Parts: sequence; structure tokens; C-alpha cells
Amino acid sequence: MSQYIADLALLCGVFIILAVSLNLINGICGQFSLGHAGFWAVGAYSAAAYSVYFAPPILDSLNLLIACGIGFISAALAGVLIGVPCLRLRGDYLAIATLGFGEIIRIFIMNMDSIGGPRGFTGIPKWSNLFWVYLWVVITIVFVVNLLRGTHGRAIISIREDEIAADSMGIYTFKYKTMAFVIGAGFAGVAGALFAHDSQFLHPNGFTFMWSVIILLMIILGGLGSVTGSVIGAVILTILPELLRFFGDTVSEWRMVIYSLLLIILMLWRPGGIFGKHEISLPFFGKKEKA
Amino acid sequence: MDTILETKNLTMRFGGLVAVNNFSLKLGKTDLVGVIGPNGAGKTTIFNMITGIYEPTEGDVLLDGKSLIGDHVALITQNGICRTFQNIRLFKDLTVLDNIRLAGHFRMKYGVLASIFRTKKFHAEEARLKEEAMELLKIFKLESKANHLAKNLPYGEQRRLEIARALATKPKVLLLDEPAAGMNPNETKELTGLIRWVRDHFQIAILLIEHDMKLVMEVCEKIYVVDHGTQIAFGNPSEIQNNPKVVEAYLGVQDEEQK
Repeated sequence: MSQYIADLALLCGVFIILAVSLNLINGICGQFSLGHAGFWAVGAYSAAAYSVYFAPPILDSLNLLIACGIGFISAALAGVLIGVPCLRLRGDYLAIATLGFGEIIRIFIMNMDSIGGPRGFTGIPKWSNLFWVYLWVVITIVFVVNLLRGTHGRAIISIREDEIAADSMGIYTFKYKTMAFVIGAGFAGVAGALFAHDSQFLHPNGFTFMWSVIILLMIILGGLGSVTGSVIGAVILTILPELLRFFGDTVSEWRMVIYSLLLIILMLWRPGGIFGKHEISLPFFGKKEKA
Repeated sequence: MDTILETKNLTMRFGGLVAVNNFSLKLGKTDLVGVIGPNGAGKTTIFNMITGIYEPTEGDVLLDGKSLIGDHVALITQNGICRTFQNIRLFKDLTVLDNIRLAGHFRMKYGVLASIFRTKKFHAEEARLKEEAMELLKIFKLESKANHLAKNLPYGEQRRLEIARALATKPKVLLLDEPAAGMNPNETKELTGLIRWVRDHFQIAILLIEHDMKLVMEVCEKIYVVDHGTQIAFGNPSEIQNNPKVVEAYLGVQDEEQK
């Protein structure tokens, strides 16, 4: 039982990283991306490929750190490749384009035999543990929060608020859109690396469009634009399906219905999500600003 | 007269429609000039061409003698032309202070990593930016509302904040697109004083589009009148008021029978 809880806690951590990084793109920069599972997959597979084929026999933790770095860089590169053409689009069009690219990534992996293809990628060492996952959770949150409290973060927020006005204030909006997109993709890659070294098995069908939607649900539930909200949203939507399991098979089968109902109720009750755009700040992240 | 901004034969065609035709303008370093004309005359299109939102079909825009054609909107702002919008475009969900700080963004000299690791340079630059922003807010009597969200300000103050934000980019030329739109007579009167004061205090050139004739006649030194994209008159306020072409554009021609 305690192993079960530890596994669940670890999964929560992975989803917190995914939600916070998607929130940077969707909630904070206002660019509607539906391809987050794609970046997650890129990070997971590239990190797994490293540890299966190239990892030298050094300390496991060190290897995991390198794998996470590789996950970050490869997913960020994928972010550049996809972001530069796609971010010229707006709103629904961007959503459709990123959705398409997310699927392209998955099908690409499906056809690469060296990383398992449709058979799945096996033999990944179990290097992830609670400590490393939550260290990355903290790194991700501190990174995003500190970014937001500087001038570059404000520039990213201004794009969500009014792109034309941001341009007219001398801000290169395309540069900051790409920056948000690439950083978001990079951290999704880290989440992938940590996930790969926890589950020890990857399959392309584990990174379908549905997962992009579920991560999106997490940040909408928590509140688009709120880092605190993303954390809460990720935790709720990771634990909820597990909790529903205790109520027997029928309830578990209905969990997508319960999800939807939960979301409808929330949207009626609090259209901005649980936290809206607000944050709970700890003194650890720096004092709140006075003016 | 030192010219700071010049447009030469600006023409903008949208398909078969000629929105602006051969518009030329000269703006001195501390001039306060108005552009007036009936609705749909092409005034905002002129602004959009000057600020780089549209690329003119023909003609040239010169700032300090340098052509701006093809430059990015952001670069034109960085070089010294900033504008306000007809329908206010503030960053609504950000505070008043953040609105002003964003206008100083392109002058900030620290990188992304400096903001992640909170370096000394980050703190120094942020402190400088905030000080400058608060100073500007004080001038515009908004300092007590620095932490309010921009969307919660009353309409007149939102207009004022937009002008303050444009000034925070430290422009050489300020373009105001219908600053008095939606204001009551009292607010308009206050604005009249403010516009003139801004020019004198910051020593910049101001070009404004406005429908409120009282404001234009009171505040502008020179006026361009545009109709159907073409300049039909130019002169000081009293010349414009007595120009038959201007009267015609606004009120139409008298019928033969009524004469």
C-alpha cells in the first residue's frame, strides 16, 4: 500500500511539471497549445534512448540528471521546430496546428524501430524516485515564478493581455511567444524523462492527444495563468481516477463522465478555475512586492 | 524648423479601395499637429502606416531622416514613435504599475537567466525601472493606484494611463488616436490641458487624430484635413475653420435651389 502511494505521489510530481509548463504556454502567454503530450513523448523517448544505449556506468542519480538534461534539450528543440512556424497562427488555428504536430511526433515514434516502435520501448532502468521528481518540481516552479516576476515574464504576460499593444510598446512578441513555448516544451521533456525512468516502459499510445487534453484540463481546473492552480489541478486530476477506483469497477468506468461533470460544475461555479489568476506565495519564492 | 517625422506621398490600397492617397506630412521637433476628417477618411490608416502595423503600398515614412518602411512595429517604437489607440488597449489584467513597466521593457539590460537567479543586475535594473515608472505615475496623478488592475480604473484614468504608458517608452513622437473619444466635456477640457502640458514638459512632437473639434482647434497649432484618403486642407485652426473645402467635407455641398 505504501508503495502504491509513493508511486502515485511520483506520478503527481510528473503531472505537476507537465501542468506548470503547459500553463506557461496556455495560461500565461495565452497561446492555445494542444500538443503538450508530444513534447512529453520527445523528452521521455530521448532520455530513455540515452539510458538504454549510451549511459556510461556511473552513479544512477548522475545518469538521471543527464537524462533529464537530454529530455529538456530535445523537447525544447522540438519546441523550436514546431513553435517557429506554428506561433504565427492565432487562437483556434494554433490549437489545431499544435494538435497535429503532437500526433505527428507520436506516429514518428511509432515508426522508429530502434526505440521500440509499436512494440514499446523496454529495458529502461528505474532511476526516478520521489526525491528527484520533487526536486524537478521545485526547479520548474521556481523557474517559472522567477521568470514571471522579471521583465521577460511580464513581456510574456503582455502577449496574453493584448498582442498589438505589446508590439506597440516595443516588445518583440514573437520572440517571447517562442520563448514561452520552448521553455514549456523543455520542462515537459523533463517530465517525460522522469516518467520514463519510473514506468520503465514507454509506448507511443501512452502519449496520445487525450493526454494533452487531460493536462489542459488540469490547468483549466486550477486556473489558467496561476502556477498554484496548475499544481492543485494536477494533483486533483491525478488522484481522482485512483480514488474512484476504490468505489468499484462501475465508478471507475464512469470516470470520464465524472471528470466532465466536475468540469461543467466548476465552469458554472468558477469560470476562471479554482485559483483564477491568483497565487499563493510562500516567503521562499521572494517577498511580495510593495508599492 | 527641425523636422522629426516626415511622410512622403503615403498611399495605402486595400485591393481596389484607396484608403489613403498621397498623404504627405511634416512634423517639427515640438509641434502639436492634428489630423481631422470625417469617419472613414483614412486617419487611423495613416497612424497604422507610420507605426508599422501596415506597410504602405507607396510612399515613405522618415524619422530623423531615416526610412521606417519594413521595420517591425516594436523596432519603430524603440526608435521613438509611440501611439495610443482609439479603443483603449491597456493590459487589462495587469496592474497600473506593470502597464508602465512593460513600456520600459526594451530598455532592460538583464537576460532571462539573471531573472531566474535573481542576480545583482536584476535587482538594480528592476529598482531603476520601478522608480522611473512611479515617477511617471506621479506626474499623471496615478501613483495611488499603482497596484490597481488597469481594468478597474475609471474611463478617464484609463485614457490617462495609456498616454502615460506611451510616454514611458520615451518617444520623440507621440501619436494620439482619438484621445477624447467617449469623454464627457469636463474630462475633455482636462485632457486639452494635459496634451499641451505633455508637449511642453517632455519636449516631444505630438500628432493627434480627433473628432472633438473644440479640442483640436484649441490645442493644435497646425491641422491637416483628410477626406477620402486625400489631404484637402492644411493650416492653422482659424484657416481651417474658414476653408470652404473643409466645410464641404463635413457638411456637404449646398443644393442649388437653397442658394
